[in-house]
Amino acid sequence: MSSATLPPVAQRRALTKRILKSLPWYPFIVLNLVVFVVFNLWPWLSMFQTATFKTDLLSHREFVGLDNFVKMAGDELLHLALKNTFLFALLYVPPLVVVSLLVAILVNQKLRGMKFFRSVYFLPNVTNIAVLALVFRRFLSPRDDAPFNYLLGLVGIPAQRFLLDIHQALASIAGLGVWQSFGFFMVIWLAALQAIPQPLYDAGRVDGAYGWRLHRHVTIPLLRPTAAFVVVITTIGALQEFGAIFILTGGGPVNATTTAVYHIYSQAFNFTRFGYASALSILLFLIILIIAYVQNRYLKFDEEVY
Amino acid sequence: MSSLRPQAQRSPLTLLRVWIGFQPNQGLRTVITYLLMGVLAVSTVGPFIIMLSVSLTQNIRFLLFPIDLIPNPITLENFQLLFARTLALRWTYNSFYVAAVSTLGGVFTSTMAGYAFARGDFIGRNVLFYMFVGILIMPETALIIPQYIMLSDLGLVNSYTALIGPWFASIFGTFLMRQQFLSIPRDYDDAALIDGANIFDTWLRVLMPQLVPAMVTLGILRFMGNWNSFLYPLIVTTKAEMRTLPVGLGTVARSGGDAGLDMAGAVLGFVPTFVVFLLGQRYIIQGVSLSGLKG
Repeated sequence: MSSATLPPVAQRRALTKRILKSLPWYPFIVLNLVVFVVFNLWPWLSMFQTATFKTDLLSHREFVGLDNFVKMAGDELLHLALKNTFLFALLYVPPLVVVSLLVAILVNQKLRGMKFFRSVYFLPNVTNIAVLALVFRRFLSPRDDAPFNYLLGLVGIPAQRFLLDIHQALASIAGLGVWQSFGFFMVIWLAALQAIPQPLYDAGRVDGAYGWRLHRHVTIPLLRPTAAFVVVITTIGALQEFGAIFILTGGGPVNATTTAVYHIYSQAFNFTRFGYASALSILLFLIILIIAYVQNRYLKFDEEVY
Repeated sequence: MSSLRPQAQRSPLTLLRVWIGFQPNQGLRTVITYLLMGVLAVSTVGPFIIMLSVSLTQNIRFLLFPIDLIPNPITLENFQLLFARTLALRWTYNSFYVAAVSTLGGVFTSTMAGYAFARGDFIGRNVLFYMFVGILIMPETALIIPQYIMLSDLGLVNSYTALIGPWFASIFGTFLMRQQFLSIPRDYDDAALIDGANIFDTWLRVLMPQLVPAMVTLGILRFMGNWNSFLYPLIVTTKAEMRTLPVGLGTVARSGGDAGLDMAGAVLGFVPTFVVFLLGQRYIIQGVSLSGLKG
């Protein structure tokens, strides 16, 4: 900048001074940097290299160029996995967004015991998926007198097979996901609701709006940035669902719950196709990136609404 | 127009209309609100109560309704079986060790790097900052395979180094702490410098004591996140004795034992995060709503 107009000696002196000024700061970031280079940057770059090989990481390693990507076109299980992944997102995102918002509106009222209810709803979210899977595997058992079927029986619905039914397995796992996560997004909605200036509600009431109408004309328009955020985050989460599927169904029955991430896992660790799994990881990354980008554009994430 | 009529019949439809606000009736509205929240609370807590109850029941092969919520007799047999038949004790130790080191390491490195990015003026600062932002938007599941390949090349599969490594620094934590440092007026730094402190002293003795609540929040989020992580510890461990508790419990769930044993495992995996949640829920909920991101 300004140093460019100085004579060479002064320029060098300025640079030396800048380096000396910089040095004391590097120890503060060196640990961070090492972790990110080793566990993120290096794997990230090497992924593109591995994707051009056919390798089992042991004896076999053969350069195949772009073959791994060409192979995707004929991988029918991959096509099914992608279909399942999008279906899962459809079964998971809209209910989660709506339920968490409704619950947030519910607990945002100034009534006694609200803090207690908020904590209760948050509980499944801090519990790990293995625990939830152990519990819900029993609840979702196809036996007539297993918990869910028993409750269905009370209202006259015949016993369902849930995780063992190819049409219900994915929806069951999505339901578990919504139940686990609604408390988390309730908190995010709550923060947004409480940031809405009270005078706007007062003005709405003066105009005769009440209850749902007040929300329809005041709350919902002001929540759009939060809505965009919640939709993007839940979609990214849905596209990466793994734990519940791994434990509860193992991708079955008949691949009905084989999602993209499960397919990648299975290609790598059941079939030792690490090159192909790397190529699939790149595909997954691109899909997530594109969907997040489109949602951002379409939902206008950062736009000010006040 | 009918929505403005004050007295209507108390049919279910009317109740719904009252609640959603076509008819102002605050008392009835409150009752319905509590009813809805109660049902939701039961459906949230119910499974955990049943989990605890079954884990204390003798000889229970299947979980079938209706069940006695208070088992008779109450027994710890399922827990004894769990510890005898599986490596649950070892998994618990692994999880605590990994979570503790990851949490302390992550908070420590975030506090250091957050300070450098907030106050430092060093060559490469902006490049590094944008690199970190770039890493933050990377979906972690897409990195699982190359991370495994790297660890396998280095012979680090089945090691604590592999389990802790990526958790020893946090980009989210770095950004959070950077924000926190930026919220402290620079006058503190200037005063410390005039008194002869260097940047290290300023960081440790002047600024850090003001950020303890933020560090606790970050620590709790990191602990929860690490304890509950599943995919990463699953792929970097292949030996049963190196599993973390959730991964180990996942294998228990897949092996199809009896309900009592399953629920004993579930209780074991549930209690640590439940206790941390009870003690630190204020910090957790604050952290979530502040950041809108998981730790």
